[in-house]
This record gives sequence, C-alpha cells and structure tokens, in this order.
Amino acid sequence: MLVKLKVNGELRQADVPPETTLLKMLREDLGLTGAKLGCDVGDCGTCTVIVDGDSLNSCLMLAAKANGREITTIEGLATSADLHPLQKSFEELGALQCGFCGPGMLMSAKNLLDKNPEPSVHEIKDALSGNLCRCTGYTKIIEAIQDAGRELSGAAAGN
Amino acid sequence: MKRRGKGIGCMWYPIGFTVMANPSAATVKVNTDGTATLLTGTVETGQGALTVLGQIAAEALGISTDDVHVVSGDTDTTPMDTGAIASRTTYVTGNAIVRAAEAARELLFEAAAPLLGVKADQLEARDKRIQVLGFPSKSLPISEVALHAETNVGRPAIGSASYNPPTVPMDPETGQGKPFNTYVYATQIAEVEVDDETGEVEILRIVAVHDCGTPINPMLVEGQIQGGISMGVGFALQEEILFKDGVQVNPNLTNYIMPTSLDMPELEVELVDNYDPTGPFGAKGAGEPTAVPTAAAIMNAIYDAVGVRITSLPATAEKVMMAILEKREQEAKSA
Repeated sequence: MLVKLKVNGELRQADVPPETTLLKMLREDLGLTGAKLGCDVGDCGTCTVIVDGDSLNSCLMLAAKANGREITTIEGLATSADLHPLQKSFEELGALQCGFCGPGMLMSAKNLLDKNPEPSVHEIKDALSGNLCRCTGYTKIIEAIQDAGRELSGAAAGN
Repeated sequence: MKRRGKGIGCMWYPIGFTVMANPSAATVKVNTDGTATLLTGTVETGQGALTVLGQIAAEALGISTDDVHVVSGDTDTTPMDTGAIASRTTYVTGNAIVRAAEAARELLFEAAAPLLGVKADQLEARDKRIQVLGFPSKSLPISEVALHAETNVGRPAIGSASYNPPTVPMDPETGQGKPFNTYVYATQIAEVEVDDETGEVEILRIVAVHDCGTPINPMLVEGQIQGGISMGVGFALQEEILFKDGVQVNPNLTNYIMPTSLDMPELEVELVDNYDPTGPFGAKGAGEPTAVPTAAAIMNAIYDAVGVRITSLPATAEKVMMAILEKREQEAKSA
C-alpha cells in the first residue's frame, strides 16, 4: 500500500506491505536509519520519533497509521549549519556513552522541551521513562536537557 | 509505614587482570604539521577511552588533544592491545602511549638540540613547541622540528612501545605474590526508604567517592561512575536472569527489568584527586569498580531502615517483606 508522510518537513512516500511498522518504513524504505531498531516491542525507546507533536515508539505504529501525518526524526534536529541545542548540550556535557539510546533520548527530550521549555528534574525523568540507557545512569542526560532548555528559552526571550 | 535508613559500601578493585600477560602496545607519530597520529589496538565502547588516550598522547607531546588523530581497533594497522576489558585501558594502554610518545619526543629533542644550542635533556615539549627548559623564548615549533628530523637529520619522530604491568606469581609456600600492579578504592553511601507494609525499597540518594588516581578527564570518570551506580541499582533491586530447564525465561526487556530514569536516585559523585606514580600522569582506572559497592551500600541501608539482612539479590519487595515478617515472628516468639 502507498503511504505518504511528511518527514522532517519533506513529503516522502513508499509502497509497503500493510504489516510494515513506521520504524521499518523509515529505515528501510526512506533510508532514515537514525531511529534505531532495539527491542521492536516498545520496551527500550531507541526508535522514538515525534508524530504530530507526540513522541512515540515507531516500532509500535504501523506505517499505514502514520499516513498523511507529520513525522520528526533525529535526522530533522540538526541543520546543515548547526547542531540542535539539545545535541550540543548532550555533546558538551558527555550525556551519551555508547550512544545507542541517543536518537530516542533526544526525540523524547525535544518533545518535552517543545511543550515545557523549563521542565523540573522529575518532569524530565517522567518524559524519559520509556527510553532505557544502560551506560550513563541518566544523570548527565537530565543535566543536558536542563541546559538545552535554558538555552532555548533564553533564545526565545531574546537574550 | 515508610522507614528511612542509610548504608555504606566500600571496595577495592584491581586494575587489569592477572595469571596471563596483559600487554598493550602503541605507536605515536609526530607529523610535520605539528599534529600527531596515535595507533592503538583498543576500541571505543562509549566510555570515552579514545578521548582519554588522545589526551595522554597530547600531554606527553605538549600539543592539544584536537591535534591528535587516533586510529584504533583495526588489526590490519594498529599495534596489539589486550582489549577494552578489566578496567585496564587508561592504565595499561595509557602507559604504552606515554612511553611511545616519549620515544617520539626524544627524537624531536635530539633533532632540536643543535638548533637551540643545548643538550637534548635540557629540552621540553610545551605549547606546541620544543623549548629550552624554563626559557620559552628559546624554542621552535614542533612542526618545524618534526620536518627537520625527517628531511635533515633523517630520523622521523616516530615512537613505539608496549607496557605489561609487572606482577609477581604467588609463592605456593607462603601464599604471597603481587597479582596486580595497582588498585582503585571507593566508598558509596545509599539512603533508602523501605515500606514495611509492602517491602518496597526506594533509593533516595547515593553519594559515591572514588579514588581513580589522577582523573585524566573528570567529566568522563563521573559519567562512568554514574553509569556504574545505575548498574549497581539494578543488581541490588531489579535485575535477575531466571532459568527454567536451562533456558532463560526472561530474555527480553519486558521481563528482565533494568533501571529507568524514574528508578535512579539523586547521585552525588566526588573524585579523590590522588596520584599513582605507576600510572599515565598519575591515573589508574574507572570502569567496572564503579558498580562494585552500590548493592552493598543499599543492602546496609535496608538493614538500617527495617533491621533485616537481605543476602540474595535482587532485594525485591517480596524478599524484603518476607524477611520483615520473619523478623516480626521471631520477635513475637521471644517476647
């Protein structure tokens, strides 16, 4: 079946079997391999993308269900000129180690900051609770999200 | 009712392993643009090893870390390394790199000595220059010295070295020996809240103080410790591989439960800034030992809170509750 998506601002389409997940379509049909295939059953969160303003596990959504909707993946964060403030903070504060959880962590974090630019530590932990990380203990990830939140709300305020 | 308790866990841990040899080799090449290329057989697994190893080479050569190009983990091109295991990379591979960089630097000193009118042992490498000790105005850029070494002296500034920590085998008569060349030490303190109606344990806070020698990159060491604590938290309260007839019954993340962001307490990490004269610029290691004292501290905190000793991990709510009930029963009997 033909599925049409708006991915990172660009109209994309592919002819996929009906059982294809959004994750599989992004990775195998559209060549966007940033969202990772971890557990494939919605436990680990490394496939997290934003669909119409909500972060979700793309391994749990059928591509057909995403038809006509707006998707943001990790590839949509940086511009050719610059990294997203979240990516910069993650890099500067050493928030990732092996990095496999990174694409999902960053998308969950972006979705949180889009809705709540200055979240509390508890709100951040809550937003990341579906993204597993084996390396970092989450501490530096939380610090990086706070740091990026301050930067983004400072920029919004014209500072 | 929720009861609070605090517990302490202490540990020492050896850096590297023993019984068989444990070498790392490295090659450092100083290029004529003043940069350096480091060849190492070890691999980056996310812990930041290549950053730290690049920092070690840069420090020995007096150049910036950005100017060290690290080539790693390719058996076609890189020298032998025992591997990113046993918390050994900073210490063992780092020591090989210091020695390789020093050998390359010696060739730079010998090339520069006649140009600066002093002996080679009166030179130092600092701020991307080879300079007379204590006289920064009498100096030459490393790039120029490296080119001079290649094109005029005919001895390019390339150094190779290996390091194998010295050990002494155990004497079967006395039981004495020296299995490892150095050790790291740490203390962690956990504060928990135990619900004595359900047995559920919540960890409120963990303070971790670690002696890793001189931390080459404190931010990365901190990250290793925080990650180690999260593994210790999982070991203490959640993680368990269950077998039935020799087959694991929980082989996925739905039923092998590891800590999420919500399971992690507030962490406070302190580094004891020690200096180990046998390590590269005083460093020892981080890695595995970061996870060692966590579960012990948590179990001691549970004992402090509700007076029960949990001796089989993980300390699930069921196990803690059973222990509390058993204790109450015994107290009722003896009363």
